[in-house]
Formats: sequence, structure tokens, C-alpha cells
Amino acid sequence: MPVIEVRDVTKQFMKGSETITPLRDANLEIERGEFVSLMGASGTGKSTLLNLIASIDRPTSGTIVVNGTDITRLSRSKLANWRAANIGYVFQTHNLVPVLTAYENIELPLLLLPLNRAERRKRVEIALGAVDLLDRANHYPRQLSGGQEQRVGIARAIVADPTVVVADEPTGDLDETTSSQILDLLQRLNRELGTTFLMVTHDPDAAAIAGRRLRLEQGRLVEVADHVPVPAALEVR
Amino acid sequence: MFRFLPYLLKTLWRHRTRTLLTVSGSAVALFVFSFVLSVQVGLKQLTEQDDSVLVVFQANKFCPATSHLPQDYELKIREIPGVRNVVPIQVFTNNCRASLDVIVFYGIPAEQVRQARDFTLRSGNWSEFESHQDAGIVGHRLATRRKLKTGDKFTVGAVNVTVAGIFTSRNPSEEDYVYCHLGFLQRTRGLDLVGTVTQHEVFLAPGADPATVASEIDERLKGGTVRTDTRTKGVFQASSLADLIDLIDLSKYLGYACLGLMTVLLSTTTIMTVEDRVQQHAVLQTLGVSTGRIFRLVLAECLLLSVLGGFIGIFAAAATLTFSGMSIGAEAVTIAFTPSLEVLMTGAMVTVMVGVIAGLAPAWRASRAEIVPALRSIG
Ligand SMILES: Nc1ncnc2c1ncn2[C@@H]1O[C@H](COP(=O)(O)OP(=O)(O)OP(=O)(O)O)[C@@H](O)[C@H]1O
Ligand SMILES: [Mg+2]
Repeated sequence: MPVIEVRDVTKQFMKGSETITPLRDANLEIERGEFVSLMGASGTGKSTLLNLIASIDRPTSGTIVVNGTDITRLSRSKLANWRAANIGYVFQTHNLVPVLTAYENIELPLLLLPLNRAERRKRVEIALGAVDLLDRANHYPRQLSGGQEQRVGIARAIVADPTVVVADEPTGDLDETTSSQILDLLQRLNRELGTTFLMVTHDPDAAAIAGRRLRLEQGRLVEVADHVPVPAALEVR
Repeated sequence: MFRFLPYLLKTLWRHRTRTLLTVSGSAVALFVFSFVLSVQVGLKQLTEQDDSVLVVFQANKFCPATSHLPQDYELKIREIPGVRNVVPIQVFTNNCRASLDVIVFYGIPAEQVRQARDFTLRSGNWSEFESHQDAGIVGHRLATRRKLKTGDKFTVGAVNVTVAGIFTSRNPSEEDYVYCHLGFLQRTRGLDLVGTVTQHEVFLAPGADPATVASEIDERLKGGTVRTDTRTKGVFQASSLADLIDLIDLSKYLGYACLGLMTVLLSTTTIMTVEDRVQQHAVLQTLGVSTGRIFRLVLAECLLLSVLGGFIGIFAAAATLTFSGMSIGAEAVTIAFTPSLEVLMTGAMVTVMVGVIAGLAPAWRASRAEIVPALRSIG
């Protein structure tokens, strides 16, 4: 059973009297553990699709089932709880809370789960270790480099062990070297944790690390033919 | 909820200038509010005193300087059923009009002071007071204000007493007075007051009806040289303070205005922080923080500002009132400005209420914001 099922999803925005329809009867199935990249011209609706799957936005029509739950039917407050347990979101920028340390930022999602302090500490430390920032635990975002900030953001996205991690241009603001470090990290986490990743990117090289590549064209999803050999670890599925 | 406390505190600390200013504003508001409230409470205490004590005054006179009753009315009043005790009192005040520094001398038979009043001597002793004609005991608040101690000489106008002790009372207004010997005060004034007093204080027997006894007293003394007007002590004091009462009543609007300003101030600050953090709240919601929690977080932030400032204001007011010994009086009755538990509790309650009310609109606004547009707003 796919972990993400997007069925006939249409999303419309009203801009004054104009109606924009970035998604028109879009369909998508993603299996557990897949690493999927999503490309497409600017303004085609990539972020919109990501937000719908992350349940921070609602489709105009259609259903989205994630991990067996039809999230289009949940109330706003139920959705919040559902998100806490199922979704990790990596933003492009501006995603850390500036008044909190790296440690505290990563701990945030855990505060919403029934975990005691010791359990939280253990998980935060594992996440910090995974992004190789144990020595920066008590640094504030402004004391971190862009790449480190993004690693903290990634640690925060995986710390609660979510079903799906979505990332919206996670390397969009970073230089080449840092980008490739972040991409390596995402790939490694996908491999080691088995978490499903859906990543929006404009960078073909970034998209290439994914086991499966999609393009958003005229409101629909198109599979991109595989020119690059699939990484061995992802082939198992 | 408390799991997010560090986030809350750190946010406030991050904007410490803004926090400090808002807290100061709240402190000033609650300072004024508590101050005004203390005066109201002080007044209420005076005018709502238990009605088992009556005051017999000369009819149609208001200032103690103009009320002259024969001292021997005492004997006639004693005969009236329902009367347990009568104390003749000569009152001398330096100022009959409303004033912030009224000094009032109560001359009463020295041996009666102890039974007529529930005073506790903080220094000095009773026998010293009772055995010396020119001795006086001074209320604690007045002593603080005038820096008097036992053994000092204290002179106001023609009255010159030696302080034989400092007393405290459960009724804070009493602590603004000086008690001295009746005969001493009658003679010292240079007027021939021997044989007359300002008023008689009548203590009723248990169960006696104040109104009945009061009219009975006025009726009995109708045939005497001077007509009387008898009222319960509360009513008597209220009428002495009549001019002030309206003014003090008006001052409560000052208190309300302060609370209004404080609400606006807190709301403004909190709305500003909410607007600054639209995106941050959207990030929190993306992580799974519910709208309800966002609402409570913002409300808690506002409440914290309010309580922080409010409590500082309340305690500053209490300290000022305690150490200044301020009071206001007219016609030989003074209202003590004292911090009472009632004032502290009301202040605390009001602070919490203002914090919650001020936080509602910002909290509502923060929790209603749509996540996606908010995320796009800056990033
Ligand atoms: N809240 C909104 N109100 C109105 N229009 C919106 C809203 N959100 C998105 N849109 C429009 O929907 C379309 C898709 O937006 P979206 O952000 O999903 O594009 P994108 O593919 O992520 O673009 P980019 O690559 O530039 O990030 C755009 O035309 C955008 O203007
Ligand atoms: Mg986008």
C-alpha cells in the first residue's frame, strides 16, 4: 500500500477575479521509503502540492491519503496532532525559531508528543548526531552558518520519526558545496531511517539523487525517465 | 503548556526593551489603581463601622471646633436603656477643612481610653500616660509621618503634649490621632471649655437598636441648653467626610482609566509581537502546534507581561502607603491610606483579568492566521 496517495486533487486560488489552478486532477502514489524529487517551472504548483501532502493546506477537491489517513477529512486541530506525528517539513529558509538554541529547535516537535524529558533528550541527541552537529547543540541560529542552520532544520524534521519528510527547495539558498553536503545527508537519512522523502528542487543535480523523479506540468505529475542509475540502496523496493 | 515556557520567556527576553516598557506601563497603571483603591477601602472602613457605637454631636454643627455639648449630658445619656457606656470627648484639630496633614487630638478621660479603644502600645506604657496630665499617646501612622517617639514633646497650635507611648490599632484611621487627657485639652485651648465637650461617644448594649437609642437620646436632651444630633459612628464619619467622599468616589474613574490604558498598552504590544512572528507561528503550526496552543501561548505571553508589571505596581503602592503613612482628613476624621489584603487581592485579580482581556484579540488573531500565506509572507 502506498504511503502517500494523491487522488484527483485540484487546487485553485482566487486572485481577485482571476482563478489560478496550479493542480488539476493530479494523481500520485509514493511507496514507503521512496525518495522522490519534484521539479517544474516556477509557479507550477510544486510548493502547493507539498503543502497539501504536509496537510498545512487543503485541496479544492480530491483526496489525499497519507499513512492510511484521509487528511482531507480531518479537522484543523486533529490535523495539527496528525502532523506532529507524521510529517517532517524542511523549509528553504527562515525556519528556525531565532530565540531557541539548535537543541531547543530540534526538541520543538517532541514537545507535542507524550515523551518525558529524558526520552526527548535521547531523541534530540540522536538527531543532532545524524546531522553531525552535536557540538553545536547550544548555539543559536544566528551563530550558525546557512548550511548548519539547514542541518538543524533537517534534524528537527526527522526527530519525531515522521512517516514522510517533505522538503521545499532545501538547498535553494545554499552554495554548491553545502548543497551537496545537505543532499548527501538527506540521502543517507532516507537510506538509514527508511523515511519517505519528497523534495522539491530546481536543481537537476539535486533531483538526480532521488530514486524517483517527477515533474509538475500543467497541473499534473509526470514521471521523468531514468537516465541516472538508481542508487543501489534504493533499488530494493 | 509549561513545556513551552522557555520559548515564551526567551521570546520576551529577546525583545527586552519592549517588554520592559510594557511592564513599566502596567506597573504604573496598577500603582495608581492600588493607590486609589486603598483610599476607597479606607473610606469604606470608616463609613461602614459597626453601628454599635453612636456619636452625639451638637445639632447643625459640623466642625468639631463649633460643637459644644455640656459634659454632664453624659449622665443623662447613661440613663437611657440600651446604653452600655458613654465617653465624653473633646476634639481638637489643626485643620477643619480637607487636608493631607490633619492632626487630631482626642481628649478623653484617661482611664477610659483602654476600654473605649482597642489600642496596643508599641512603645511607652499606659501608667505613664494615665498618671501625667500633659501626656498623650500617638498613633503609629502619625508618629511615622511626624517622626515622633516616646518622650518627645509634640506641639500643634496651643496644644503641647509629651508623647507617653505609640499605639497601633486594628482600625488604621485611629493611628492618625493623638489621644490625651480630657481635662488637659479642655484647659489648654485657652478657651473656657471646662464643662463642655465636642461630642459624646455612646457604646450600645448588645441587642440595642441604634436608631431607637439615637432618637431617644436626641429626644431626652431636647430640653437641655444645646440641641443634639445623634448618629451611628459610621454615618457620623461619612457626613464629616461628605466633601471628600464625592471626590474620592470620582477618583475611582482614574483607577478605571489606568486599567483601560493598561489593557490597550498590553494589547498593542502583544499584537506587535504577533505580527512580528506571523511566520514563526506558521512554522510552529507546520511542526504540529495546534491553533489552540498558539492561542494559549499568545495569551500567556500577554498575561505574563501584565502580571509582571501589575505585581510590581501593587507592591510599589503597598510599600509607598506603608512607609509614607499618608492620610487625608476633614473635620477631625481621617482616612488612612493603608494597603490591605483586600487591595492586594483585588489588584492581583484585576491584573490577571486585564492580562487575559488584553491578550484575547492578539491570541485570536495569531491562531486564525492561515499557515501557507503566513509561511510565504517573508520567506
Ligand atoms: N495563497 C495563494 N493565493 C493565490 N495564489 C497562490 C497562493 N499560493 C500559491 N499561489 C499561486 O499558485 C501558483 C503555484 O504556486 P507555488 O508556490 O506552488 O509554485 P511553485 O511551483 O512552488 O513555484 P516556485 O518554484 O517559484 O517556488 C502560483 O502561480 C502562485 O502564484
Ligand atoms: Mg515553491
